[in-house]
Amino acid sequence: MTEINLANLMSPVAPTWCPGCGNFSILTALKQALIELKLNMEDVVIVFGIGCSGNTADFIKCYGLHGLHGRGMANAIGIKLANHRQKVIMIGGDGDVYGEGLNHLVAACRGNHDVTAVVFNNHRYSLTTGQSSPTSNKGTISKSTPQGLIEDPIGVLSIAVSNGAGFVARAYAGKLKQMVEMIKAGILYEGFSLIDVQQPCPTFNKEQDYAWYQQNVFDLPVDYDPSNQGQALMTLLDKDKLGLGILYQNNARKAYHDEIPQLSEKTLIEQFPKEINLSKAISEFI
Amino acid sequence: MDLESLNWKIAAKAGEGVMSSAKLFAKACKRQGLSVFNYYEYPSLIKGGLQSGLVSAALQGATCQRRHLDLLIIFHEKFINDHLAELDENSLVIINANAFDASKYPELKTKVVAINLTKIARDQGANPLASNIAAIGLSACLFGMDLGIMGRVAVEEFAKNKEAAEKNLLVLQAAFKLAQQMVDDSSLTPFGNLINTGVDEQILVSGNEAIGLGALAAGLQFYSAYPMTPATGLLHFLAEQQNDYPIVVKHAEDEIAAINHALGASFAGVRAMTGSSGGGFALMVEALSFAGVAEIPLVVLEAVRQGPATGLPTWTSQGDLNFILGAGHGDFLRVILTPGDVQEHFVLSKLAVELAEKYQLPVLIMSDKYILETNQTMPKMLLKQENKRFSMLNDGQLGETGLTEGEYLRYKYSENGISPRSIPGQVNALQLSNSYEHDEYGFAIEDAITTKKMVDKRAAKLEALQKDLPKPLYLGSKNPEKILISFGSTINVLRDLLLDEAAAKTAVIHLPCVCPFPALELEGLLEGKNAEVFVLEGNATGQLAALIKRETNLPKLRSILRYDGRPFYSEELVEFLKNQQLNEQYRLI
Repeated sequence: MTEINLANLMSPVAPTWCPGCGNFSILTALKQALIELKLNMEDVVIVFGIGCSGNTADFIKCYGLHGLHGRGMANAIGIKLANHRQKVIMIGGDGDVYGEGLNHLVAACRGNHDVTAVVFNNHRYSLTTGQSSPTSNKGTISKSTPQGLIEDPIGVLSIAVSNGAGFVARAYAGKLKQMVEMIKAGILYEGFSLIDVQQPCPTFNKEQDYAWYQQNVFDLPVDYDPSNQGQALMTLLDKDKLGLGILYQNNARKAYHDEIPQLSEKTLIEQFPKEINLSKAISEFI
Repeated sequence: MDLESLNWKIAAKAGEGVMSSAKLFAKACKRQGLSVFNYYEYPSLIKGGLQSGLVSAALQGATCQRRHLDLLIIFHEKFINDHLAELDENSLVIINANAFDASKYPELKTKVVAINLTKIARDQGANPLASNIAAIGLSACLFGMDLGIMGRVAVEEFAKNKEAAEKNLLVLQAAFKLAQQMVDDSSLTPFGNLINTGVDEQILVSGNEAIGLGALAAGLQFYSAYPMTPATGLLHFLAEQQNDYPIVVKHAEDEIAAINHALGASFAGVRAMTGSSGGGFALMVEALSFAGVAEIPLVVLEAVRQGPATGLPTWTSQGDLNFILGAGHGDFLRVILTPGDVQEHFVLSKLAVELAEKYQLPVLIMSDKYILETNQTMPKMLLKQENKRFSMLNDGQLGETGLTEGEYLRYKYSENGISPRSIPGQVNALQLSNSYEHDEYGFAIEDAITTKKMVDKRAAKLEALQKDLPKPLYLGSKNPEKILISFGSTINVLRDLLLDEAAAKTAVIHLPCVCPFPALELEGLLEGKNAEVFVLEGNATGQLAALIKRETNLPKLRSILRYDGRPFYSEELVEFLKNQQLNEQYRLI
């Protein structure tokens, strides 16, 4: 066993993000969370989407799967079902997880699959030079929407809260300590955890810079009760102010793999059938 | 008189239960030791429309459906017109009715007997659907079958509902008795006594079930899919196995998720598979390309139906060959297996799972509605199967590896292109399985030298792979005048064709694998043969013929094409061998 520490997580590849990008602090928070959880290197898998966030694949050493745009969640669920002792983390951006992969996000919520999704939400498709994304504000002018974006931004956390996700949180790239706590809590939660990380993109999102965030984020009040689904939805209806913290947590719901009888004692990978007897399988064909 | 074969069909509206009654009849024939081909035609709806179940059974042969029927049982008079071409003066039609007026059908040469099957069922206090059981009871008498066997088959089928099972048995016996009385008073003529060999060593399975059994035998542990005819049978079969075998089956939200679940599971080390028909497979192809570049083992069933687009959902086709050959962007190595009969579906499905792991690439099984949803007999397989891991670090064992940190490289260059694969949970064997082009560890790269080396590494697997692929099968005349080349399910029809004396100077070549294409083997089989060569396939453009022309130096090839959703019929091919004529549903070019 190899315990996780900063040196072990260090990739030989240097990040290619822009100076001032929120991704740097999110990566720092992710590493810090893994270290504080005292996990082993071989017990964590990270699935990466495509985008600036997905490029994290090259900037951290771990068991990794760098998949297709939008589909990482589906990979992550497959990994968890094959070996549910693994801590499975999915990293993607707002375009990846909330746009191309929305169907898979909803499926992950409905199944309460024990995967932790950390979504780097900068409200832009930045790797493709800054087009508007599903979380961009109405009216956003970008190369793909020069006349201004007509759609409303997606209320994706409400979708998650109302469709079975057991753990929904919002963090902000400018608040490292809180991010670490959110990621740790998400990984420890046995079910689907969605952590939406609000992050500035200094290159392609000039409207929502650090100063804008300072004005528009707030910590959820101390008496906020994350087990109250209605309150979570009410909080999320206010799209102007972004509450940070655990918005919703349902400790009563089992994770998907916990409801599969054939996984009750061993993981699937531990049950590789070196020998198999087909008698039962052919009994209806005799 | 001993009967060595029978051709039997039952036709009714969808929802009237002919699917299960035909299967019962097929199973009873199998239990008498015969070979059976149990073929279904049905529309893409739940209630109404014509649906039929056919049973061809024989001591020798019965490898495909036959056009000519001995006995046709129909539940509605209007369906008689749909079956005129299948009947002659030796056939018998039983219609579920009180009376039948033959004068309305001047072109009908066949004797029609009206029997109220529903009344037989009702008289025994059974559900009207048990009219199906009455139909097989009558059939058992007319074909001189063992009523005891038929009764056991029927009772087993309804084992979950004891009351229904008991009533069905009464209906079966009552119908058998009624038929006996009608034989005695000469209102019905029996066909003879179907042979009972006393040796029942076969199983009766569909192509889908045979694929499922083969995959299970190979240690498949994960299957994810979205329902789509005609691949749904595999999803149902494997889902049912979850109670008894270490397999997880996931009905995914869409086909894109299905294939990506399978890739995730495979990356984590379990043998994984997905399946769909052409439309669903179309959604999967980006991920197929991912499997190619990331070298993640994956098996995909492409269950072809007549297209394009939604096409004819419940009718057969081999029209997706070009699509499967080219599916996925970029160059990557793949295997396409094209099994023929259900036994080959079992064998090649097992092989597919093993090849995918051994060579770390996508293996596609291309089959079609015709055989996937047909029940066919095959010899019982070895029941105790053994499996070992291929091309995996430490044979896939989790935990300590004996490696030091930084030593392991997922995509390490190797002579045969295969690099041992680590899986999450193995110590000091970190890796990044990457959809981007990558270096030996897995980190994304863009430099020209590494790119070429990696493309070459993956392509290098071809040489070793070719030795593990199934070879073309040559059957029939050693000095043929005609050679018929086919792939996939068509061999079932061609085996039957070869039994006809008109095929004495005919040979058949079946291709169980079309990619990598067995060019040398096929050229070898045709070397020195002075014969006309025809390629038979179920599509409109001659896709297999074009592939053969591209991959070999074979001279003139002609094509026999069928693309109306129906399978080939051996009777129609016999006509072709005799008179060079095919009916208007075929195209000869």
